[in-house]
Amino acid sequence: MPEPSAGTLIEVSEETASTTAPETKDVRTGRSPGQVAWARLKQDKVAIVCSVIILFFLLVAIFAPLLVSLEAVDPITGAKADVGTVHTELVDFNGLPTVGPSSAHWLGVEPRLGRDLFARWAYGARPSLIIGFVAAFASTLIGVTLGLIGGYLGGASDKFISWVIDFFLSLPILLLVIAIIPIMQKRIAAGGDLTAEETSTIRFVVLIVILVVFGWMGLARLVRGEVKSLREREFVQAARAIGVPTRSILFREILPNLVGPIIVSASIAVPAYITYEATLSYLGAGLVEPTASWGRTIADAQNLFATYPLWLWPSVIGLSLLVLALSLLGDSIRDAFDPTSRR
Amino acid sequence: MLTYILRRMALALSVILATLVSSFLLFFAGPSDPAQAMCPETRCNPARLEAITKSIGLDKPLTEQFFAYFKGLFVGRDFVYAGDTVHCGAPCLGFSFVTRRSVNEELFTRFPNTVVLALMAAVVFVTVGVTLGILAAVRRGSAADRGLVGSSQVLGSIPYYVLALLVALYPVILWNILPQYSSISAGVGPYFMGMLAPALILGLVTSASYVRYTRNSMIETLSMDYIRTARSKGINERVVLFKHGFRAAMSPIATILGLDIAALLTGTLITEQIFGVDGIGRRGLAALKSFDLPVIMGTVLIGAVVVVIMNLVVDIAYSFIDPRVRLS
Repeated sequence: MPEPSAGTLIEVSEETASTTAPETKDVRTGRSPGQVAWARLKQDKVAIVCSVIILFFLLVAIFAPLLVSLEAVDPITGAKADVGTVHTELVDFNGLPTVGPSSAHWLGVEPRLGRDLFARWAYGARPSLIIGFVAAFASTLIGVTLGLIGGYLGGASDKFISWVIDFFLSLPILLLVIAIIPIMQKRIAAGGDLTAEETSTIRFVVLIVILVVFGWMGLARLVRGEVKSLREREFVQAARAIGVPTRSILFREILPNLVGPIIVSASIAVPAYITYEATLSYLGAGLVEPTASWGRTIADAQNLFATYPLWLWPSVIGLSLLVLALSLLGDSIRDAFDPTSRR
Repeated sequence: MLTYILRRMALALSVILATLVSSFLLFFAGPSDPAQAMCPETRCNPARLEAITKSIGLDKPLTEQFFAYFKGLFVGRDFVYAGDTVHCGAPCLGFSFVTRRSVNEELFTRFPNTVVLALMAAVVFVTVGVTLGILAAVRRGSAADRGLVGSSQVLGSIPYYVLALLVALYPVILWNILPQYSSISAGVGPYFMGMLAPALILGLVTSASYVRYTRNSMIETLSMDYIRTARSKGINERVVLFKHGFRAAMSPIATILGLDIAALLTGTLITEQIFGVDGIGRRGLAALKSFDLPVIMGTVLIGAVVVVIMNLVVDIAYSFIDPRVRLS
């Protein structure tokens, strides 16, 4: 019986049987650790509430144009609100909006520019979610690969990978990212005059790339450590002794033991990247106009927080709620995969 | 032991060197025209460009520029710019063309503010985090445990800058419950009172993760066989908890603490910006707005050196706590 998943196996065999041990002549239907985790997750009330919240924001992001089109025609401008159009006729000479929340503008309009705040809010969910999921996926891939290589091969390649991990971890990443983004942007955009939209798109891509480049180390370190200890375990040594090829050892003996930590780390990475994007956008190094971003809106709205809270709060609540739900779901997933946390 | 420390120090030194080289390349070879990038004005006149190029030798080969910078770190360097000669003592981090002062002057004068903020926050999160974590582990499953874990999860999950911003906007600026930041020249009392709000929010939010680390580590340790053995021998529960359990549970916490120095620096950066604390993070961000590359580079270097040294200290301390580390 393989040793590493002992905890999981014991639990599985208590509930039904185990598919990971085909040599046992047990005819009862078994479930994989992943299925066990899924079953546990379905029982978890927090996880369900969080999933509903995340689904809500996903729907808002996907159907943002549709939602915005539900707003009524504005009596002053005579047009329906959209995400980008500036309506200076809706603000007074101080830049404060002359119209409040109404059927045409559910959350009112933006001070100074008069853009529809509900549209800005609904569209603002998009970059957060895209950046969160894309960056988490890419950095997980890199982290697992480098962790496996370093942990299993050992020797010089492990030394090098550990050094790179140490190197990246010791950089003041936020500051460096803040410095790199404008430099990279100037490099890429050096060719000619770009429209605001093109600049914004370049910034979006640059942001994802930079976040991934500086975001894989945690998982790589974790995987490396796990692999390092797993490869000394009896079942791996036994596999090596009977001549199982390295690739099979990596993918069939070691990696299945890491599925839990990898899924957990990826699910925790999504809210972390969303936070990073919002923080960078708040500090002025993230997304730029005209892309609607909650982080940018919070930065713009903080100066008028007392006089016009409707500008600040929807983005604060949207961002906090989304990140909170994703983080708590990540925690629930971790608990579901953890054989020691039985409920 | 000595070889371990020496090897660890060599590693730290190599990381610092690599940071130096890569940030040099980033700032001096990254922009298509470094002189233009460092110029305070968007439309820089040729004379100004010429002066900038001359003063830091941008017309010379990159290796020569690097060695000039490298030498400046050890013996200091003089910058001649716009008729003035500015001396920049070792370790010279460069010259800001925006403020016409050395980067050292810009950053080292502000560094103590960052350190005070980080230390005050560290005191808060280590004491609060570890104490509450042990409490939750010992009373595992109780209402207090669930409340602590739940609130630490919520607190640790909301983006930090949003929480810090809300604290800065409402209790500090709008309701005046806690005083705003004032520089040390306005008096020591007001200075520390002004640091209270930023240090508390940074410390409390950071402590959220420490509650969970400590709790998990403690629970894991307490479920070990040797703890059961200790209990079965009839050892006082307090001794079991603190002598057998706590000591073993602390070594993963020490590692996380070491790794978290980078996160703490990030935290101070955001906190300084939001609460207006005049530290190096805020200066670095201000430099970003004016595209003051030498100051940004100096900030990155200081941050990297602090993180590397702290990691080194933690690793060496760790090898005393857990002898297995030295042997591997």
